[in-house]
Amino acid sequence: MPDILPVNETGEGFTIPYFDQWMAMPVIIRVAVVFIGISTIFILYIQFRIWFTRYKGYLLNKRVEKVVPVIDALIAEEIFMKSETGQKGAPHINFDAFRIPLFANHKNKQILIDRLINYRRSFSGSIGNHFKQLYLELGLDKLSTKKMNRRSWNMKVRGIRELTGMDVSISDVNILPLTNSKRHELRTEARNAYIKLSKNEPFKFFDISSEPLLDWDQIELFKTITTTENIAIPNFARWVTYSNNKSIISFCLKLIVHYNQQDAAPAVIKLLETKDHILRAEAINCLGKLKYEPAEAQLRHIYSNQPLNCQLEILKAIGRMSTGESAQFLRQEFMYSTDFDIRKNAAMSFVRNASPEYIDELMEASNDENKLILKHSMNPLIKY
Amino acid sequence: MHSILQWIAAFYESTVFVYGSVLLVIYALLALLSYMAIRVFLQKETYTDYSDLLSSDLAPGISVLAPAYNEGLSIIMNVQSLLTLNYPVFEIILVNDGSTDNSMEQLIKEFELVRVDFAYNPKIRTKPINNIYRSTNTAFSKLTVIDKVNGKSKADAVNAGINVASFDYFVCTDVDCILDKDALLKLIKPVMDEQSKRVIATGATLRIANSCVIDKGVIIQMKPPRNLIARFQEMEYVRAFILGKMGWSFINCVPNVSGGLGLFDKEIAIKAGGYDPLSFGEDMELMVRMCRYACDNQIKYAIRYIPTTLCWTEGPANIKVLKAQRTRWARGLAQLMYAHFKMCFNPRYGRMGMITFPYNFFFELLAPLIELSGILYYIFLIVTGGVNYQYAILLLLFVYSYSIMITTIAILWDQIAFRHYKSWKEVLFLCSTALFEFVLYHPLVVIFSLRGYYYFLTGKKHSWGNMQRQGFAQVKQ
Repeated sequence: MPDILPVNETGEGFTIPYFDQWMAMPVIIRVAVVFIGISTIFILYIQFRIWFTRYKGYLLNKRVEKVVPVIDALIAEEIFMKSETGQKGAPHINFDAFRIPLFANHKNKQILIDRLINYRRSFSGSIGNHFKQLYLELGLDKLSTKKMNRRSWNMKVRGIRELTGMDVSISDVNILPLTNSKRHELRTEARNAYIKLSKNEPFKFFDISSEPLLDWDQIELFKTITTTENIAIPNFARWVTYSNNKSIISFCLKLIVHYNQQDAAPAVIKLLETKDHILRAEAINCLGKLKYEPAEAQLRHIYSNQPLNCQLEILKAIGRMSTGESAQFLRQEFMYSTDFDIRKNAAMSFVRNASPEYIDELMEASNDENKLILKHSMNPLIKY
Repeated sequence: MHSILQWIAAFYESTVFVYGSVLLVIYALLALLSYMAIRVFLQKETYTDYSDLLSSDLAPGISVLAPAYNEGLSIIMNVQSLLTLNYPVFEIILVNDGSTDNSMEQLIKEFELVRVDFAYNPKIRTKPINNIYRSTNTAFSKLTVIDKVNGKSKADAVNAGINVASFDYFVCTDVDCILDKDALLKLIKPVMDEQSKRVIATGATLRIANSCVIDKGVIIQMKPPRNLIARFQEMEYVRAFILGKMGWSFINCVPNVSGGLGLFDKEIAIKAGGYDPLSFGEDMELMVRMCRYACDNQIKYAIRYIPTTLCWTEGPANIKVLKAQRTRWARGLAQLMYAHFKMCFNPRYGRMGMITFPYNFFFELLAPLIELSGILYYIFLIVTGGVNYQYAILLLLFVYSYSIMITTIAILWDQIAFRHYKSWKEVLFLCSTALFEFVLYHPLVVIFSLRGYYYFLTGKKHSWGNMQRQGFAQVKQ
């Protein structure tokens, strides 16, 4: 191993301190030494990053603390006070008051957008419209549209959110393709926006949607549909009958229940023939919640061929219908089923269907366990 | 003879070298994976409005199971805190596991409970139920209290709760844990957000509550514990949850959902047989059996973790309690490995069999044993004059600096995501604890783990894992 390293210009050899010792070390030890150095530098760097991350957060908070009161003061002065003074017709709002150097900075502009969306969400009617007007007058919609046209899905979602938040319409050509995007977050946002903003057929994407509606998407869509004003609610039986997307069918069943669409019941009954037992159970559940009595006989009829989850749903559905016609059937299931859950659900529905005398009679005829189930079902303190 | 000994020594050294190197690489990978998982989570979180779920008719119901044994000092406050959780459809099932204090009397009086004829269906076998209570006051209509014969384990109490649970999902927690008000909303989200797999369990980050400011069961301000032992645990929890479990979650290899807080699919939990009352690590044991059941029945499953802190627990503040806790955990791990060893390197069990189980076996179960053997070998080398002290110190420094780096990365990820502590100084205070972990805390954990293995081998008796509580600091009124 050489202990003299390159010769310098004067021709004298020189040595690097500890080089010999370094080279004499086993490779593993040398690697370890290098890693000690790397780790130490990394630890210091991480400490700096922690400090920097916190500092950035602190600066952002400071900025928000500085800008938000200015926005609030302007809004109070220009929108709230002018609306309150009861000027005849629409109050004259001086939008130029918002064209101040503070909002030239794009970060401050973003805070302004967020704040306006927040206000728009909290106020409806004419005051709410003033916020929309302000947003449009200041050209903030152009910024949001720009975001929507960016390549990053993240920015697209942001843009859609802002436009939807301000009820600014987006053309179907731009939004509809996004409702089938592979990116889940973008797809969800686009669907919500489409329902909220589409002037023509807000539920059109139900026809073209091939991607599944996840449970969480359903929660969001359900809220959008049920809280958006002036939305034309279609008969959801259309998709129950024709859609190939099971999650759309499932979602439509929930909407049918929410809007109590009795005329959709025949389509739901047709769904009882589906091979998918989870979807079938949902259809039964829907019929029960609609209290669609004409289906009761058919439910009893198909009962014996169903898997457990569908049988339980049939028992619950009959309980909800409360016609009294199935009391004998429920009694039978309660007395002779070996499955605890079937007996419990049959008892709960029986209590809703049968007369007090009939219940007493069943109590008499029951064994100890069944007596307990009946008492459980009759106890008003027990909900489930 | 001499050459055989030399060969054994060389073999041992090479094995330990490979073992250590693989472990270091795994930690580096986990750091990377956890970063990616946290980024994905934060992106999704930006566009999530939990109030949609809060006001929805479509929210799935959740049963919250809280087992309690002699928690009379705080039980009322804890139940009140659970009743204020934000979620549209839930029930609280408190299981009084034969407490010998006045817990039951306090509950009956405070919540106006009466005995009801409840059709109890023991899908999982437990010790007998004495009575089931419901409240006559509609304000407490979400509460059900089970009074049962002591089953000498948390597992038996939770199983009784599962038998009574009405909904498809249950959250298991300890009655003395403090939950975030939105814990249920956030735990159910990964279940509802999964496209192709069935999420059988969801977990979230747990933190130590010892020095946090608490008011009426709610965390007002998070602070790193002042007590050194508790602070070591806080650091350990950040590393285990933020870096470890988030990393494993990214590749769907979560080994365990903590007993302090976890949401489970009730159907799979029951079919897997519920919690094992004889296990010391009942949470991990159930998780393994649920995965096993899913694999055996061709159910595509996922276990998810979220980095948000949703639960605070009181960590042991002295060595005696820490010893009892860690001994129990180690014993549970040994039990689990022994009971399910067939899963190890068994491709039938997918990632659980090929990644999670081997990792747990080699790097969780064997680690204390390998460390012990290393120390003994070192002593032998010192005695025989076979140690090159310069190299030994360098290697030690390497491991030391690497471990500090990993811990600091975990704290950074936590800060990037949440910035829980009020000031940077508090973060630095926690980071500085990593400097002493290697010499003060880690040896203790190794010793307690070995003690646990010893108890496993000798079969010491089983009891409820209650620890002596010191109580939380309450905000001054």
